[in-house]
Amino acid sequence: MRLSACAVLAAVGIACGGEPASERLLVFCGAASKPPMERIAREYEADTGVAVELVFGGSGTLLSQMALAERGDVYLPGSPDFMELAVERGQVIPGSERVVAYLVPALIVPEGNPAGVAGLDDLGRAGLRVGIGNPETVCLGLYGVELLAHNGLLEAALPNVVTFGASCSRTADLAAMGSVDVILGWRVFEAWNPARMDALALEPSQVPRIATIPVGISTHARDPEAARRFIAFVASEAGQAAYRDAGYLTDREAALALAPDASIGGRYALPDDYLQRLAGGAP
Amino acid sequence: MNRLFQAVVVGTTALLALAMLALVGGLVVELARHSAVQPPDLREVLFAVKLSLGTATASSLLATVIALPVAYLLSRHQFRGKVLLDTLLDLPIVLSPIALGALLLVFFRTAPGQAIEALVGPIVFDVRGIVLAQFVVVVGLAIRLLVATFDGIDPEYEQLARTLGYDRVRVFQRVLLPMAGPGVVATLMLVWGRAIGEFGATMMLAGATTMKTETLPVAIHLNFEAADITSAMIFIAVLLVLSFGVLVAVRRLHGRGL
Repeated sequence: MRLSACAVLAAVGIACGGEPASERLLVFCGAASKPPMERIAREYEADTGVAVELVFGGSGTLLSQMALAERGDVYLPGSPDFMELAVERGQVIPGSERVVAYLVPALIVPEGNPAGVAGLDDLGRAGLRVGIGNPETVCLGLYGVELLAHNGLLEAALPNVVTFGASCSRTADLAAMGSVDVILGWRVFEAWNPARMDALALEPSQVPRIATIPVGISTHARDPEAARRFIAFVASEAGQAAYRDAGYLTDREAALALAPDASIGGRYALPDDYLQRLAGGAP
Repeated sequence: MNRLFQAVVVGTTALLALAMLALVGGLVVELARHSAVQPPDLREVLFAVKLSLGTATASSLLATVIALPVAYLLSRHQFRGKVLLDTLLDLPIVLSPIALGALLLVFFRTAPGQAIEALVGPIVFDVRGIVLAQFVVVVGLAIRLLVATFDGIDPEYEQLARTLGYDRVRVFQRVLLPMAGPGVVATLMLVWGRAIGEFGATMMLAGATTMKTETLPVAIHLNFEAADITSAMIFIAVLLVLSFGVLVAVRRLHGRGL
């Protein structure tokens, strides 16, 4: 029976077989970390002989996949809110989390800044097309709304928000494709595609919160110790160098230098009248 | 009146063709204006092309072969519960691919699912998962198209063959299948086209792993996720040219009747 099943699959060009579980790690990795994590996976495999298989996607989709399939060794989402959710839902071992990089908010404009956005105050300018992450599903959006509220711009800027990005990457795509004049994004977006996006730094006092890219061990890990060793490698100098070369801030002090009063991670509660303001009604 | 009718027919077709060409034109302009952040490695492009061709061909062939007896049953027989069965088999058409992928993931967590994996090898987050995901997405469409094909063939031919001594197998092989030939090929083509562009179920069940489960739609998605618009456009162009080429080739092979 097994032979016939293999024959069917072989007939369509797919071979049967696979590596033993202990020599492979399955890592659910936020797609924005693709360049540094592919380098880290290659280096780890060369160093230890352990194959690292990276499954990429949006952080929420990956968490759902991990939960539905009940497999995976390591979870590396693009922002801290998904790690909190993963721990809450019993998908990541509490206390196993490490910070890989820091994400500082910035204004991101299409290359050349065609709308001439000068700074955060411009977001209330009539007719400007603004994109933010969806505040109800993406921490970039939540932090964006907090940033506007912190700077007293919620009322003026929200009516200019023409679209929400479904994920950090999709929000970056809005600027990269020139679909909007400016987005509230992460500073690192510019490094993702410097030919299509420019970052406009915010005043340090304007930034109330910065985010992190965390990594943690899945509760479904077949060998949690092997997963822990990989996470240690990601957080080591070699791993940090891969992230730095991809444009990320890996040093907490360097991140805080850009926003000295900011808190790191955590959640922000949307204002009670947020939906009303979004609909254009009086608060 | 005839002229007006002719103008509406030709005008509508021309407008739709122009709209399609405009989409391709936009892609060409976009590719000409920008360069990629990290142009896709040729090996990665070739891998995605081979994987997409292999999996779409495998899944569409499997779906068509399996849909043939099912469509025959639905077209030629009346039985209790037929409406329910018909509707059940239509579910893959109405369910979104990402929902089907999630259902497959859940299934492979169950004892029967794990037994299947033990028997044939890994399916979840594996290449086999791509074939299965595409198969589940397209099989309902294959059944629907083949039922329409069989329904269009007068059963009298089969009855006549029976009176001349053919058994049911030979009637199916020698009478029905040859008459259904163009419809079967058209089904295969449509189903193949649907399979090669499949993304939602594939991503859920097989995952998006570079150089492993990276079909062309997965590569497009990953590049958008990295904000590398130009690389995504390059993969879109490859998928477009590949699909267009294969569909034209199949049409030429099978005459103009398709």
